[in-house]
Amino acid sequence: VTAAIVEVTFFGLAAGAVIGLLALGLVLIYRTTGVLNLAHWAIGLLSVVAYVFLTAGGVPAPLAVIVALPVSVIAGAAAYRWVFRKMSRSKQILAILVAVGVAQVYSSLAALTLRFEQFTRLEPWLPVRDWRLLGVTVRSTDLVTALTGIAVAAGFLVWFRRARAGRALRAVAQNREAAVLAGIDEDRASMLAWGIGSGLSALALLLVLPHVAGTQGGLLTAFDVSPLGTLLIPAFGAALVGGLVNLPMALAGGFVFGLSRELLILAPKPWSDLRPSIAAILIVILLLLRTERLFASEQELEALES
Amino acid sequence: VSAQAAVETAPRREGSRQPPASRARRLTSKHLAVVVGLALVSLLPVPFGDYGFFLGAYAAIYGMIGLSVVVVTGYSGLISLMPYTFAGIGAMTAGLAVGSWGWPFWLAIPLAAAATVPFALLVGMASVRLRGLYLALATLTLSNALGETLFRSEAVTGGGAGWNIPRPVVGPIDFSSDVSFYFLCLATLVVLLWMAEGLRSSRLGRAMSAVRTNEVEAQALGVNPYKTKLVALLIGSMMAGVGGAFLGALLVNVTGTPFRSPVVEITSLLLVTAVAIGGIDRPLGAFVGALTLFVVQAQVFGGAASLQAYLGIYTGVILILLLHLNPDGLVGLARRLRALIRARPAFGSGVTTALIVGNVGICWLIVAVAE
Repeated sequence: VTAAIVEVTFFGLAAGAVIGLLALGLVLIYRTTGVLNLAHWAIGLLSVVAYVFLTAGGVPAPLAVIVALPVSVIAGAAAYRWVFRKMSRSKQILAILVAVGVAQVYSSLAALTLRFEQFTRLEPWLPVRDWRLLGVTVRSTDLVTALTGIAVAAGFLVWFRRARAGRALRAVAQNREAAVLAGIDEDRASMLAWGIGSGLSALALLLVLPHVAGTQGGLLTAFDVSPLGTLLIPAFGAALVGGLVNLPMALAGGFVFGLSRELLILAPKPWSDLRPSIAAILIVILLLLRTERLFASEQELEALES
Repeated sequence: VSAQAAVETAPRREGSRQPPASRARRLTSKHLAVVVGLALVSLLPVPFGDYGFFLGAYAAIYGMIGLSVVVVTGYSGLISLMPYTFAGIGAMTAGLAVGSWGWPFWLAIPLAAAATVPFALLVGMASVRLRGLYLALATLTLSNALGETLFRSEAVTGGGAGWNIPRPVVGPIDFSSDVSFYFLCLATLVVLLWMAEGLRSSRLGRAMSAVRTNEVEAQALGVNPYKTKLVALLIGSMMAGVGGAFLGALLVNVTGTPFRSPVVEITSLLLVTAVAIGGIDRPLGAFVGALTLFVVQAQVFGGAASLQAYLGIYTGVILILLLHLNPDGLVGLARRLRALIRARPAFGSGVTTALIVGNVGICWLIVAVAE
């Protein structure tokens, strides 16, 4: 039983790292520019498409990852520069619908790019191997996913606290007018937030790739449709753990959602039935707790919405 | 716009400042335009044959569900991303009533509307505490959770076989063909449209608009925001439930599959964006949005595989442009163009023609490129 718990915990950590990375991107974009980015998924998908094309063309997988990541970074920054920059924050329904429009454009673009070749086999960019230790089987992909996720997230958080650009982003999030008066270029900071947030989304999706390699139906089934429920909604939930504004809590939220879903596999019968809806239950509880009040002052919340 | 203005003044109506006699004449010409327009719209599926009428009925049903978006989001400003889930509840209820208990279809419609009430109350209880974005997240999550639980339960969905909902027969009129069922759906849509238009100018509708513009001010004027939001959600969900019952009859056999995640979230978003393209704060917007969906789907039907992706990009760009330049959607755009034509006839009609020709040209180009 203990071995099973340890194994499932590794699944959960891997899922949590992916969800946490997605949530970090969502929170970074929301707190800097006030947009709840429903296109987060579609923007990250572009990097996956680029990766698939590069590896199909014979580029070694690790190099393909490095070349593919900037595609989403540029797509995200472009989405801000050309679409969201002029949106008024007070019309949230419009911002949400425009995000849906952006998602439609990007995911259609991805579908169109892939249409001409059927990629039914996905190249994993990590070696898939099972390690046995003290009766516990650990998959290399789970371990690497969890470790990479945690390392990138930790590096990002340190950069965000210490580096000049990270401090500028925080300043814009806390008080836009004062930040502009202090000489910070608000547009540049916002574009940076969108670029980095989209890069985090792309990285999260690329970390998922080795886990779905060999999925029937190929890339579009594995990435375009099914993960909406299993990854994007938990990512929104993880972002809510930090009230949509707190980055470290969003990362922690990723692990809450990842671990709770995986550990429920082992729960006794009536509880394990909760597994498909556990994310929804947690999100409703978080919404009713109004977590945003714990992490942002009333003034900052007003600023995000106006 | 202040909430006070919204409560005190009735919604703008064409010619409301003109003497009564001329208003009456204009109203008749307006009525004539509505009748001619409806007749033209109702014949739209003809070139596509039987499948066209099937798609047309689909579009009319999407229009019914879209009206719920107009009432909830357009009138009251609540961002609900689960209209299709409410339609699913309606479809399942109708299936249970007709397919399992042997009720006639006509009785199943009000039951389908009533079945959405407890779920709308649940969302309503959350909506009193949640603002804008948070409600959007809550509804998205809820539709996901219901898709994973309710629409997977065999007792509700009838398992893999689903429910059979035969199309109704009234005396000599048999609605089982796609053509006759299309006209039934269209007629129902027009009735619901007329009701939604009436709601807009009623006291309740003005209260909704006041709550949308400024909740605190509305409260100061004696409007109870909680009650108003709750009623809006109830009306909206019942309209979606009716749409769901018709959807079940259109498909004849209905299972839980279309209402499970992730199809249900995607369809809900598609519906909300279609209504936004049409114009989210006008009932006519739901109609125009459904019409747009019909045209897009009719083009995709029989076209090349990549057509859908090209059209996806095009409609996405149109959505973004339209919401940036003209948040009232196509209905608002038409109104502005008409004002422009009246002010500067040559320039205005030039712009209108350019827009129509350009749009048709781009669509033609897309179809040509895809083949």
